[in-house]
Amino acid sequence: MEKHNLTLSGLGRSFGSTRAVDGVSLDIGPGEFVGIIGRSGAGKSTLLRLINRLIEPTDGRIAFGGQDITALKGKSLREWRRQCAMIFQQFNLIDRLDVLTNVLVGRLAAHGFASSMAMHFTDAERALAIRALDRLDLAPQALQKAGTLSGGQQQRVAIARALVQNPRILLADEPIASLDPGNATRVMDALRSINNEDGITVLVNLHTLDTARAYCDRIIGMRAGRVIFDGGAHQLTGEVVRDIYGSDDLGEFNESVTSTAIRPAVDA
Amino acid sequence: MLTTISPTEIADWRQRMPQAFRQPLSVRLRRLALLWGFAALFAWCLYDFGFSPERIVTGFGRLGRVLSFMFPPHVWTEWDEIDAILEGLGETLSMAFLGTILGAILAFPLSFLGAKTINRLPLLRFGVRRGFDIIRAFETLILALVFIRAFGLGPLAGVMAIAVSEVGVLAKLYAEAIENISNKPVEGVVASGGSRLQAVRFAMMPQVMPVLLSITLYNFESNVRSGTILGIVGAGGIGFLLSDRIGAYRWDEAWSIILLIIAMVYVIDALSATIRARFIGTMGTTR
Repeated sequence: MEKHNLTLSGLGRSFGSTRAVDGVSLDIGPGEFVGIIGRSGAGKSTLLRLINRLIEPTDGRIAFGGQDITALKGKSLREWRRQCAMIFQQFNLIDRLDVLTNVLVGRLAAHGFASSMAMHFTDAERALAIRALDRLDLAPQALQKAGTLSGGQQQRVAIARALVQNPRILLADEPIASLDPGNATRVMDALRSINNEDGITVLVNLHTLDTARAYCDRIIGMRAGRVIFDGGAHQLTGEVVRDIYGSDDLGEFNESVTSTAIRPAVDA
Repeated sequence: MLTTISPTEIADWRQRMPQAFRQPLSVRLRRLALLWGFAALFAWCLYDFGFSPERIVTGFGRLGRVLSFMFPPHVWTEWDEIDAILEGLGETLSMAFLGTILGAILAFPLSFLGAKTINRLPLLRFGVRRGFDIIRAFETLILALVFIRAFGLGPLAGVMAIAVSEVGVLAKLYAEAIENISNKPVEGVVASGGSRLQAVRFAMMPQVMPVLLSITLYNFESNVRSGTILGIVGAGGIGFLLSDRIGAYRWDEAWSIILLIIAMVYVIDALSATIRARFIGTMGTTR
C-alpha cells in the first residue's frame, strides 16, 4: 500500500457569520498519531467532519496523495469515506441491530444495492468482522444488540467497524469524552495499537491534555477555528496551553483537575 | 492486511460462532413458513374477492372514460353557481377548522391524563386510554350519520363529528408525544426544587409544543380532505355538491369541483408548512 500525506490547504467552513474552521493548513504524514486539542467550539469536530466530507468546506482544499478530496462525488466520495474511518463521541451505532451487523456496516462501501438492501454479507466478511471484534475482546458479544452494551464496549464496536473498512486514516471525534477512565484507557490503547500495528494514521480530538501527551506524537492546538499550535508533546508548555484554552481569566490552569487518568492521589 | 482472510480462518470462526454466519434451522424454517403463509393468505383474499385480470382490465377501460370527461373541465359562468361552489368550499374549510380546534381544546387536557409520564394512577390512565380507543372506533363518517339524526342536516353535525373523532385521535397522539420526550430537562427542574406541575410547565411543555402543533396542523389538513366526504351524507360542505353532480352524471362539473378541492388542499398544505416552520423554529427554543 502506497503511503500518502493528508494535506489540508487553507481549509475553512462558515456557518452563517461564524467561522467554525478558518484557514487551516496542515500536512499529516502516513502513520502519524495526531491529537487535536482546543476548547469546545474551537472547530475540532468540524475539522474532522470536513476531512471525512460529512461537512462541505466553504473554502480551501483537502488532498490525499495526488487526489483532490474536496472534488470527490458519489461513488468515489464513498470510497474516500471508506478510507478515512470515523468514530464518534456518542459511538453512533445502530442500537437495534446486533454488534456483528454494526461492524459489517464498515463493509457497505464495497456493496451494491441488492446485497445491502437484503443485508447480505459473505462468510469471509463475517469472519473478518468477528476477527476485528475479537481483537477488541468483543467476539462473545457479536450477537447481542449494540444498544445493550456499555459505553466502552460500544466505542470498541465502533473501532471494529472502522477496522473492517480497512482504512488509511482513522478520525476519532472525542472518542473517550463519555467514558470512565478505565474504558477510556482501553479505547486509547486500541487506537494506539491500530496505529502501531496497522500503520493507520490516527487523528483524534481530545478534551484531556494528559491523554494527548501520553498518546500523541504530534499535537495540534486549535482556537476559534485556527491552528495556533502544532508540535510535539514536550513543546506543549503551560503558556501554550493557556493560549489554546484562553484561560487568562482562570489564573493558574490545573491540568490534574480535568484529567481522567487513573493515578494515585499523591499530590493532593 | 485487514481485509484478507484465509479460508481456514473463516472455517475456524464458523466453527466457533456458527450463529454469526447462519441462523439455526428452526429459525429459517419458521421464516419460510411465515413467508409462504403470508403469500397464501394474500392470494386467497384476491381469489375470494374475484379479482380476475379481465375484470380489472374492463374496469380500467371504464375508468378511462370517466376520466376523459375531465377534459375540458367545466367552467361555471353563472354567478349563482360560482357562489354556491365557493360557499361549499368555504363551509368544508370552516368545518375542518372548527372541528379541529374544538377537538384539540378537549384533547389537550385529556392527553395529560392518558400519558404514562404524568398520570401515575394506572387504573385512571387505563380508563382514559380505552376511552380514546372507543372514540376512535367510530369513523368520522359514522359519527356524522349519528349527529345528523340528533342535530339535523347541515354543518353543525359535521363540525360535531370532526370534533368528537379528533378528541380520540389527538388525545392519543398528544399523549404519545408527551411520553416520548426526554426526561433530562424534567430531572433538571425537579432537582432545582420544582414541583411536578412546574416540571410539566417548564420541562415538558417546551418539548411537546412543537410536536403538538405539528400534529394539529396535519390533522387540520387531513380534516379538510376527509371533510368533503361529510357533505355526501348531508353534514354540510362541498361534498354535497359533489355527490349531487356525480349522481346527475354531470362528470365535467364533478371534475371541476374535485380540481378545486385539490387546489384548496394544496393551499392549506403550503400554509401549514409555513406556519410549522415559523413556529417550531421559535417555539422549540424560547417557549
